[in-house]
Amino acid sequence: MAATGQLTRKAAGVPFDPVTMLRVAIVAATLIVWEALSRSGWFYRDVIPSLWSIAKAVYALLTQGTFYFDLGVTAAEIGAALLIGGGLGLVAGILLGGSRFLSQAYETYLYYLGPTPKIIFFPVMIMWFGVGPESKVALGALSCFFPVALSVAAGMRQIDKVLIRVGRSFRARPWQMIVKIYLPAMRHPIVNGIRLGFGVALIGTLLAETKLSNMGIGFRIINAYSTFDIPRMYAMLIVLFVLAIAVNALIGRLGGLGAVKR
Amino acid sequence: MTAKANRWPLSPKLVGLGSLVLFFLLLEAVIRIGLISRYVVPPPSEILESFYGIIVHEHVFRRFLLTAGECLAAGVLITIFGVAGGVLLHRSELLRRACETWVASLAAAPIVLAYPLFMVLFGRNSWTIIIIGFIAGLPPVMLKTLEGIAGTRRVLINVGRSFNLTPTQQFWKIQLPAALPVIFTGIRLGLIFALINVVGVEFLINAGGLGPLINDLAERYDLAGTYAAICFVILVSVLFYMTLERAERWLRPAN
Amino acid sequence: MADPILVVDDIVVSFDTTEGPIAAVDHVTFDVRPGEFLSVIGPSGCGKSTVFNVIGGLLSHSHGIVSVSGEAINGPHKSIGMVFQEESTFPWRTVIDNVAFPLELNGLPRRERNERAKHFIAMVGLAGFENRYPGELSGGMRQRVSLARTLASEPKILLMDEPFAALDEQTRLLLGDKVLQIQQQLHQTTLLITHNITEAVQMSDRILVMTYRPGRVKRIVEIHLPRPRSSDIVSSDAFGHYVAEVWSDLREEASRGMEDAERHALGTAGEAS
Repeated sequence: MAATGQLTRKAAGVPFDPVTMLRVAIVAATLIVWEALSRSGWFYRDVIPSLWSIAKAVYALLTQGTFYFDLGVTAAEIGAALLIGGGLGLVAGILLGGSRFLSQAYETYLYYLGPTPKIIFFPVMIMWFGVGPESKVALGALSCFFPVALSVAAGMRQIDKVLIRVGRSFRARPWQMIVKIYLPAMRHPIVNGIRLGFGVALIGTLLAETKLSNMGIGFRIINAYSTFDIPRMYAMLIVLFVLAIAVNALIGRLGGLGAVKR
Repeated sequence: MTAKANRWPLSPKLVGLGSLVLFFLLLEAVIRIGLISRYVVPPPSEILESFYGIIVHEHVFRRFLLTAGECLAAGVLITIFGVAGGVLLHRSELLRRACETWVASLAAAPIVLAYPLFMVLFGRNSWTIIIIGFIAGLPPVMLKTLEGIAGTRRVLINVGRSFNLTPTQQFWKIQLPAALPVIFTGIRLGLIFALINVVGVEFLINAGGLGPLINDLAERYDLAGTYAAICFVILVSVLFYMTLERAERWLRPAN
Repeated sequence: MADPILVVDDIVVSFDTTEGPIAAVDHVTFDVRPGEFLSVIGPSGCGKSTVFNVIGGLLSHSHGIVSVSGEAINGPHKSIGMVFQEESTFPWRTVIDNVAFPLELNGLPRRERNERAKHFIAMVGLAGFENRYPGELSGGMRQRVSLARTLASEPKILLMDEPFAALDEQTRLLLGDKVLQIQQQLHQTTLLITHNITEAVQMSDRILVMTYRPGRVKRIVEIHLPRPRSSDIVSSDAFGHYVAEVWSDLREEASRGMEDAERHALGTAGEAS
């Protein structure tokens, strides 16, 4: 991302930079083909809605109070999932990264369970936590536990051992070791883990909402599908993707990824 | 500085496995005593019994083949379009500069959330499932192919030059073989993403192979069966990853 | 003669390996006088770094006593400052925050610790780089940051483990000058672990030669070269004489080490086939 940012910035003075032109051309071609397909009449009504109706739907969505209520519900669910799953993942990661024994005993299980589809646990989550937001939080937390735990464990092992010896040679106290050496040395893997965790918590929570719920963005999306309000569905997906990308970038920015050089 | 090599009385792997078995035994006991309702968590022994049931009565083999077929279809598409896309990006510097970050952000985007959209476009059937699996698995193959070809060691290219290879020969004889291990890593990642999304979407739209099995059993309120089906799917995925890892190690030259 | 400031008395360190315990350091005894520059030299695998870690209090020994000013050490001691062989600056801290690290641990207020850190940064010749990150500096500069960081803790004994091993020959000579200059300026008691003979002769008052596995004291060579010294001294006849003398002691040990390594390589090759 950063690299292209520089490219385009450097080229800002030149109006006919070939990369920008190609990008504009690709986007324009996609939009034109879309609009053409939409007007062709080859598809059942609204399967490919016109750009204008999608734009109208986005506008309607953003000026509607109920959308923000659902967005708030989903955001709270994702936040709770990240807090619970990420917190447990952090603890598990520190334990696994700190002990060779625990890592050899349990890390393979986490490693193989990590990439399994978590959504299939949803029926179980409903049995445990009911059909309300709790089961969505549980699924989101389950999803983000694994990447956070594995990322933190790997990060803990990657800490340069000599830095720990430096701390000990200056007789740093245990909390000084944690605050001044372990945590700063692990900042990259922790932020990266949270970033990955956010991505999968978002997917887990929203998919659970589409499966069974009565509020939240996921529910609204599947509701738009079943009432065949396709432009509205597109609008919600667009807003959601933009928000997801923005939060992802924000976590990276707040974590200062790229600021620390070696 | 390795201070005294630590000796454990028991192998850690054994302790890990043992504690897992112990956990299930404890769970069994707690449920039998009634501390946890058997209508929330069925005893592990019942789940084990249900395995037999779902294998015999639920056509698990046929379902597995259907899911595997969908994954295979997605995998073939991923490999063809991913490698071709990666090569294309490598061939055209302009295209690469314009699109590489787009492909990378596609990899991070929660595409699967758009599954209702794909249902509208392709219907509630295997096509939707395959297409989502394909889109989910495409970016890593493209990016790894690009990385592999672009990362061919300079000296190997110079060797090719010294033999007066044409650009086409250079590509087929030097760059592609040199990039193959990296490309296979991309394909492995792509297949894993495809499997996650295929099974997930199967479950969500209740179509296809293994995914709907969990739905069916949950709707019948066959608790032990639902748990067993989930375990079965997890088992299949884990075996799938292990096989891919083995295959990758086998294909990779010793290093 | 003044009482020794550091006494290493009969220490033994052994490691458990798959073939049973191996003595890395075997009954090593020596002392360091105040203001003295002592080098410990030996072939790789002789246990020099083990001696370093034991004196630094990072590794426990099974026998013997290490004492500083008559006080037996038990863990890292406040009078001993360590400079490590590996790259050891904190990449997330600027040069000044790196150097101020030990002062920060002791709870000094920011203004005061920055002032003192600046003093030591200037001493190692890095004035003007205070707000750079280690990633922006060369390897030699980073190693000077580590040195300044250790000096900032104002240790009675400066303990260095091959601090220039990762650097190229020219940088190494220039940095050697810097260390000599600082050592003479501060009258800093220094213990240098090294495998480089010219480096040891150039800087030391005495050189302790260790044997190859198990590490024992083979001999202590006194270097009577005039002070103040600099790297110019390498061209003098006396210097050449001392290098030859140390090498004659070291040669036998180094070749034993090499034979051992070859045997080991053969052994593993045999297992592999």
